[in-house]
Amino acid sequence: MVDSVKVGMISFAHPHAFSYAQAVRATPGAELVAVADHESGVAASVAEQYGATPFTDYQDLLKQELDAVIICSENARHAEFVMAAAQAGKHVMCEKPIATTVEDGWKMIDACREYGVKLQTAFPVRYNQPVRRAKELIDSGRLGRILAVQGTNRGQNPGRWFVQRDLSGGGAVLDHTVHVVDILRWCLGSEVRSVYAEIDSRFGATDIDDCGLLMLEFENGVMASHDPSWSRCKSFPTWGDVTLEIVGTGGVTRVDATAQHLLAYNDATGRHTFEPWGDNFDLGLVGDFVACVRDDRAPSITGEDGLRAMEVALAAYESARTGQPATLARTR
Amino acid sequence: MLKVGVVGAGTMGSAHSRAYAAMPDVELVAIADIRAQAATALARECGARAVADLPGLLEEGVDVVDVCVPTPMHRAYVEQCAGAGKHVVCEKPLARTLEDARAMMDACSDAGVELFVGQVVRFFPEYRRARELVQAGALGEVGTARFTRGGGFPHASDDWYASFAQSGGVVVDLMIHDFDFLRWCFGPVRRVYALTTAGREFNRLDHALVSLRFESGVMAHVEGTWAHPAGFATRFEIAGANGIVQHDSEQAAPIHTTLRNPETGGAGVAVPESPTLHSPYELELRHFADCLLYGAEPEVTAEDGYEALRISHAALESARTGRAVTL
Repeated sequence: MVDSVKVGMISFAHPHAFSYAQAVRATPGAELVAVADHESGVAASVAEQYGATPFTDYQDLLKQELDAVIICSENARHAEFVMAAAQAGKHVMCEKPIATTVEDGWKMIDACREYGVKLQTAFPVRYNQPVRRAKELIDSGRLGRILAVQGTNRGQNPGRWFVQRDLSGGGAVLDHTVHVVDILRWCLGSEVRSVYAEIDSRFGATDIDDCGLLMLEFENGVMASHDPSWSRCKSFPTWGDVTLEIVGTGGVTRVDATAQHLLAYNDATGRHTFEPWGDNFDLGLVGDFVACVRDDRAPSITGEDGLRAMEVALAAYESARTGQPATLARTR
Repeated sequence: MLKVGVVGAGTMGSAHSRAYAAMPDVELVAIADIRAQAATALARECGARAVADLPGLLEEGVDVVDVCVPTPMHRAYVEQCAGAGKHVVCEKPLARTLEDARAMMDACSDAGVELFVGQVVRFFPEYRRARELVQAGALGEVGTARFTRGGGFPHASDDWYASFAQSGGVVVDLMIHDFDFLRWCFGPVRRVYALTTAGREFNRLDHALVSLRFESGVMAHVEGTWAHPAGFATRFEIAGANGIVQHDSEQAAPIHTTLRNPETGGAGVAVPESPTLHSPYELELRHFADCLLYGAEPEVTAEDGYEALRISHAALESARTGRAVTL
């Protein structure tokens, strides 16, 4: 009988936290022991829902007997929580984007290395089966040499702290660039060399960007574009999308990561919606994190992966400021 | 009665000839092609005379010449037509270079003849409908637009599409459709940035990703491709503050037929179709005929064709230099 991996969660500011909490509960060999949120009401209701002990001070949570913590705070607070968790000897899975500045990103990575804990960035799209199938097609060589990719990760403005720059670090472009850039880096095995971006607010956000278009060049010569806009209107049948179109010398593949859905029509709401039936990729993400803690192996997605994806989003903002492409200045 | 001559009996010349032949107030007089067989077959089908070349066509007493020859030959043909006092319908792109396009426009205006450019996407009903919705405010203020066009590498006489010098590749030949349509919807373009396989790849693979920023603030992504193994498709999405319209030619086909192969009893090829009463080519040429016969106001001008070509060339310049180009 193997001891179960004891998991705590710090902050439910990011809505993914609720899905991760359910995923921990659904993962055999994992136990959701403690939850912390500075709002006592949130901590109490989540604790009750998932059968965990509530804390309003995350430092108290870190004093518990835990193997790992999952951090889903506002982006700008990731660094504080991750470094405290590392110091307390807990392995960490941190919601994306890993941070809001390159400096914070490295501090988090260095702290986890110093205290000998694992740091995984939460990129659930890597566990989407259609995306994994596309990677297999690339890896098998059947698409030939890859020439170009166009990606989208469109969604709706989440409001709340996501539109407060001091907490989020950026709007749609930071929020919705990192998933697809991570997938592209993973699939192409190459880093982004330069990025050109158009960035603006055209869908009602007042103080932060809500749409953008990124044009990317990779070190290996692949060209790509990415649309991270919060451009889904309220009546759109789902939250958004992740799509990729990959063009190679051997063929073309188009991936719609959430196409596995029913079309549902409902007179009561007057709307039609997509009802997903594909594999739950948050479950894959959390299960893999729990397994890397239990088996004491390196995480599949590292802190550096999170940092490289964030750097591309930050370079996109720089390009939009100058009106010309920005070269990725990778400091380390 | 409008007397029309068509020069070039290839894919586009054939589509245009059939469209003219069906118009009651238009007489398709003659079809010219240096490939005598192609001209004769098409002329017989359309009830017109076959002639060897443009000078032969100009002797046939036509009012208007429809130029459907490869792009690099447009200028010489259009200038000859203008010199002979004939109105001109010219396939898109207006020319390979901006210099040629301007010379053609000048030649026609000096001769006092009309020059129409076949930016046919303006006559595709799905594109027109989308524009109507944008104009009516059905989407609210538009923020982003994404357009895709392409498929396999096209085949044509002398494989002229494969020569960048002659065709300009997808950026000049294909994406000009979407550049023109987007300009029609959203006004002038301020800034262009492009990534293309031109110079990176050869071997009949041509793929381009273009970012357009309009004066109105709209940001558009345009993908053009001749890098797929086969097929042809168009897709677009226009997203506004209160609404989104999407189009996918592969989803929109209302008829899908799969016929059993009578020889083998196995499956034949599945054929999707989207039948309409009039093809976009018929609608386009009907409109040009209405302009010449009844003084209708042109919905697309040579100046529009020139402006679309200017976007193509800005995209090529951006791809070449790696810099964003301000128009």
